[in-house]
Amino acid sequence: MKATDHKPDDNKTIVQHVFDELARSNSQPLLDRLAEDFRFVIMGTGSWSRSFEGKAAVLAELFAPLREKIADRITIVPVRLIAEGDLVVVEARGRNTTRDGKAYDNTYCNVIRLEAGQFKEWIEYCDTLLVEKVLGPPGEAAK
Amino acid sequence: MSAAANKQLLQDIFAAVATGNRQPLLDHLADEVTMQVTGQNSWSQTFRGKEALVRDLYGYLATLLADGRRTVPLRFIADDDHVVVEAKGEMRTKAGIPYNNAYCLIYRLQNGRIVEIREYCDYALTEAVLGPFPASMKQRG
Repeated sequence: MKATDHKPDDNKTIVQHVFDELARSNSQPLLDRLAEDFRFVIMGTGSWSRSFEGKAAVLAELFAPLREKIADRITIVPVRLIAEGDLVVVEARGRNTTRDGKAYDNTYCNVIRLEAGQFKEWIEYCDTLLVEKVLGPPGEAAK
Repeated sequence: MSAAANKQLLQDIFAAVATGNRQPLLDHLADEVTMQVTGQNSWSQTFRGKEALVRDLYGYLATLLADGRRTVPLRFIADDDHVVVEAKGEMRTKAGIPYNNAYCLIYRLQNGRIVEIREYCDYALTEAVLGPFPASMKQRG
């Protein structure tokens, strides 16, 4: 299928399915759709705020450290999707607990760009203050 | 109004906001507009009604920030009655400290008026530079 064959409704459907599964703590549909040159950007000035370039870097330098902080599987519940062209915006709420028992329910606005059904770029806006207060910097034990 | 028309309206509003002129934004707020500052920090709350929004949020920010502040749009995404605006602030406090936040603002429109706004931004930066939102002004409910 060509990139131009994926209409906004298709992209919205793809992203809805990925997030419906993330709400059930199943990240496999997301992992299956990451392009090799996938880019993840955490906006802001916090200790996690940076750009992760490439699927391998995202998995090793973001998802793995995050799993070190969070008990059980990561759960994110979609609230609303807004889509135009190759962009899908997902407002979402986390439903997670840190390994030392603290609630970590951040509020997210994710701007996702797709190409030929694959995730190419994900820009995340969230409460960066909550990240610092509950998760702490990457690589340190959860507070 | 169509998604395209809603998008054009926000583009026109932000063309002015990018120069420091917030009047078109104020002119298009519905009287019953609600604005949610998201997250779980001191600034997180919902302002209900144009009067409360202008007085308690925009008015308070005006006491902290120097004149000439700008919010520069980077991207618009429109879907039916929602328009998402990613934007960058170019501001200084009255003490001269830079305050350049990164925003994702979600607008819901009805008949050419903004009826709902949700703001996502770097609240660590907000509290570090602007300090906490005053508890005495926090909106109830």
